[in-house]
Amino acid sequence: MPYNIACVPLLPQNALSANQAPAEWSATSSTPSRVCGVESHIYQLASKLSDRGHKVIIITHQYDTRSGVRYLTNGLKVYYVPFFVIYRESTMPTVFSFFPIFRQIVIRERIQIVHGHASLSSMCHEAILHGRTMGLRTCFTDHSLFGFADAASILTNKLLKFTLSDVDHVICVSHTCKENTVLRASLDPASVSVIPNAVVAENFQPDPSKASKDYITIVVISRLFYNKGTDLLVAAIPRICEIHPTVHFLIAGSGPKAIDLQQMIEKHMLQDRVEMVGPIRHEEVRDVMVRGHIYLHPSLTEAFGTVLVEAASCGLYVVCTEVGGIPEVLPSWMTVFARPEEDDVVDATCRAIAELRRGNVKTEKFHKRVQQMYSWTNVAMRTERVYDGICCGEQASLMDRLKRYYGCGVWAGKLFVICAVVDYLLWWVLEFWYPRCNIDVARDWPAKEIKEVKDGSGIRVGKKRSE
Amino acid sequence: MPELFMPTPIAPQPKHRPSPPPITTTELTWSTPASPAELPAAVPQSTNTTTLQLPEVRHGARRTSPTNIAVDETGARRRKGRSNPKQNPKKRAQWKKLLWVKQDYPDNWVDPTFLKDLQRNINVHPYDFYSLVAESTVVVQHLASAVIFVTSFVAIYIEVVSPVSVVAVSTMLTVAGWAVWDMGWEKREAAKERAVTHKDGGYDRAVSNNNNGGASSGGSVSPSKGLGLEFKRSHHQAHSSGSYFPPFEGGGTPASAPVSPSKSSRSPDDDPPEAPHQDQSEQLRKTRVIATAKSALLIYFTLLGLSPILRSLTKGVTEDSIWAIATWLFIANFLSFDYGSGIERNFPASFSTNAAITSSVVLASRLTDTSHVFSLMLFSIQVFGLFPVFRRTLKHMSWNLHVLLTVVLVLGAAGGLMFVVGWGWAVAWVLGVLVGMGGCGWWMIDLQKYKNEIHGPWDPARPVIRRQWA
Repeated sequence: MPYNIACVPLLPQNALSANQAPAEWSATSSTPSRVCGVESHIYQLASKLSDRGHKVIIITHQYDTRSGVRYLTNGLKVYYVPFFVIYRESTMPTVFSFFPIFRQIVIRERIQIVHGHASLSSMCHEAILHGRTMGLRTCFTDHSLFGFADAASILTNKLLKFTLSDVDHVICVSHTCKENTVLRASLDPASVSVIPNAVVAENFQPDPSKASKDYITIVVISRLFYNKGTDLLVAAIPRICEIHPTVHFLIAGSGPKAIDLQQMIEKHMLQDRVEMVGPIRHEEVRDVMVRGHIYLHPSLTEAFGTVLVEAASCGLYVVCTEVGGIPEVLPSWMTVFARPEEDDVVDATCRAIAELRRGNVKTEKFHKRVQQMYSWTNVAMRTERVYDGICCGEQASLMDRLKRYYGCGVWAGKLFVICAVVDYLLWWVLEFWYPRCNIDVARDWPAKEIKEVKDGSGIRVGKKRSE
Repeated sequence: MPELFMPTPIAPQPKHRPSPPPITTTELTWSTPASPAELPAAVPQSTNTTTLQLPEVRHGARRTSPTNIAVDETGARRRKGRSNPKQNPKKRAQWKKLLWVKQDYPDNWVDPTFLKDLQRNINVHPYDFYSLVAESTVVVQHLASAVIFVTSFVAIYIEVVSPVSVVAVSTMLTVAGWAVWDMGWEKREAAKERAVTHKDGGYDRAVSNNNNGGASSGGSVSPSKGLGLEFKRSHHQAHSSGSYFPPFEGGGTPASAPVSPSKSSRSPDDDPPEAPHQDQSEQLRKTRVIATAKSALLIYFTLLGLSPILRSLTKGVTEDSIWAIATWLFIANFLSFDYGSGIERNFPASFSTNAAITSSVVLASRLTDTSHVFSLMLFSIQVFGLFPVFRRTLKHMSWNLHVLLTVVLVLGAAGGLMFVVGWGWAVAWVLGVLVGMGGCGWWMIDLQKYKNEIHGPWDPARPVIRRQWA
């Protein structure tokens, strides 16, 4: 059964422009560190779901002058809702102001499922709350890991608990992320699915001819922030260069720690061995990657690490720190793991260099294997399975919902109940004030003809949607 | 069959799963989510149930929908496999915490290994009741000295005590305190130096490491720090040649003598003078006394000159506003006071001191005579500016004297209260202090049971970097 799905993500600026795939990506975007990679995920997932016969619309807030409705390729429709942006593309966390326009969109597009992304976006939380009030099915995808100690995490976790106490299903990108989310929002682990990200393997074709034959190039593509482990990089590069005179580095990305790298290069006079190419666009990632032999990823926390998969797909041997969800992502014959310690990063890189020199690593096989491991079609199919699951259960009554909210905490529970009740009343006011029958239903994008989508675990036939 | 490209090291899994507790709906009911405190206990339990119970059983539970996700093309096969796991254990490979393997498990599968890397309260150390009570004496001392100050003010205000006599007594005590403080000067400096040397040594090590590390190192590093070091060293040289005067020092007393070369100035190579330099240390002592007396006189006359201005500064403000402002400032003083630091800090908690002095400035405007204002201000500087330094020193010198001082202060405050408002208040104060000391300690220990630190693989790693290059 095809569904009408509304994705509610927080997208960085210029992430989705008309007729164009996500233009900017983590290496360049200026958004807070944790929401990166999300936009590419949404775009790919949405287009694959469209291919499978569902209708997907994306609701996000306006960027600068871009507001209103836009179409992307595949008939993907994006609603840029006008909002007051306070800081760095974050909207004012008003709980109810989004409801009227959200209700209009939902009724116009005949939405059945609301799918929120990224726990830092207040809009996503609001959409899930309103969606539940209107009796829609809701789903939430968590892309990030949070601690439990600092004040910001505690607040975010409380908000997450509020939203997720009444969500139908949660999707996490890795098993570690699932453990984290279950603890953060006190969820039943059975209501959390693990569906990893994927890569478009065709966009990450290896090209051994681009890489140097004379020396080994180690590629680093990451935003240069503290939590991406740039300090480790700064400490490790001079030592690796000292041990291996024929190793070169290629660093792409920008961030506050770029200056540290620059100083390190000057101090150790490594200008001819460490190249910093600055911020690059997502399309250029592959071109940078294929120039190298080893991909080094010294991150300190990572829920999934899509860039590792991309690097492996480009035929790079991956050296990464063993943190967060990273150990789950790639098989051990494609990676060398290191503890997040300077010495161990150096050791692991040296081990990788030695393995490569000995020719023990079959990097030419990486691309094909990665293609088999991760595909968006597979992700879309598994997501669809989640949709199937949440759509066949019975709807919870208002009292049940209130009971769930009430259980969230001594004070928070009561506050959440008040929010839910006000939201419910607001819905009735809106129904009375702007009746459903006065809202036009938007015409669907002409759906593709019957199409067969094949995947490893079965064949599913997409149906023609709009009849 | 799962696609295993290569064997990966996997944590061993228990062969025999524990038999599940009888499932009840409340265990999985959404309306009562586990509170953070009981979560880790609750989660493994539901883990068991979800592992072993069939979807039919879980239908009674609230969240039925998620389990139905397994219902798809392969759902029937899965359920069959799950219903009699002992019959065909080889048909289904063990679940692995990996994403790149296509596994024959539903996406929402909860394995018995779920949350096995969870660590709770690994950084928590238990408190000892008596040490907590002992440490609370620092707070009690501060509270008692403030009570003494306030009762003295009230006594002056209602004109039962002459402010001049109050300040005379307190000045005598201050001078005595200074004498005690000055006695332990050498020893304290040595102790401080030990702490500082430790710190400096660490820095030096870092720098030298650094120098070894790279050819042109240090160039960008040392200037800032090095300059500071040079500057302070020259100070120290001035010091030993006898022409050293400490900068501005407070009220004929301990307050600030150690501003000087003490803190981060001495590096390990310039050692303090030893026994042979007896005459030199005597000379130093003399210099110190002169400098202290000089700054005491400076403060004295400044205060004397300012007194008329201070008296009329807030004269126009009504009485109840003054009481309110003074109360809030005293509360700010209590809250921001630096109870924890040892002798290594010369001027702890400047905000706290400022709040108390400001409070006495507004109180002083209620007094009638300029000399009264002067006395009160001097008294407040002694109580809030210098006395804390003395208390800190005394605690460092001798624990018994510290306890004795606490008792004296509490009883002194009780005496003040009895004199000003009545003996009932005095008794209440003493009882309050005793109950507070014991009760807060007990409360603190009791609250520890709510401690719930959660650590796991999702925490951002702390990078271990051996060599600080910048």
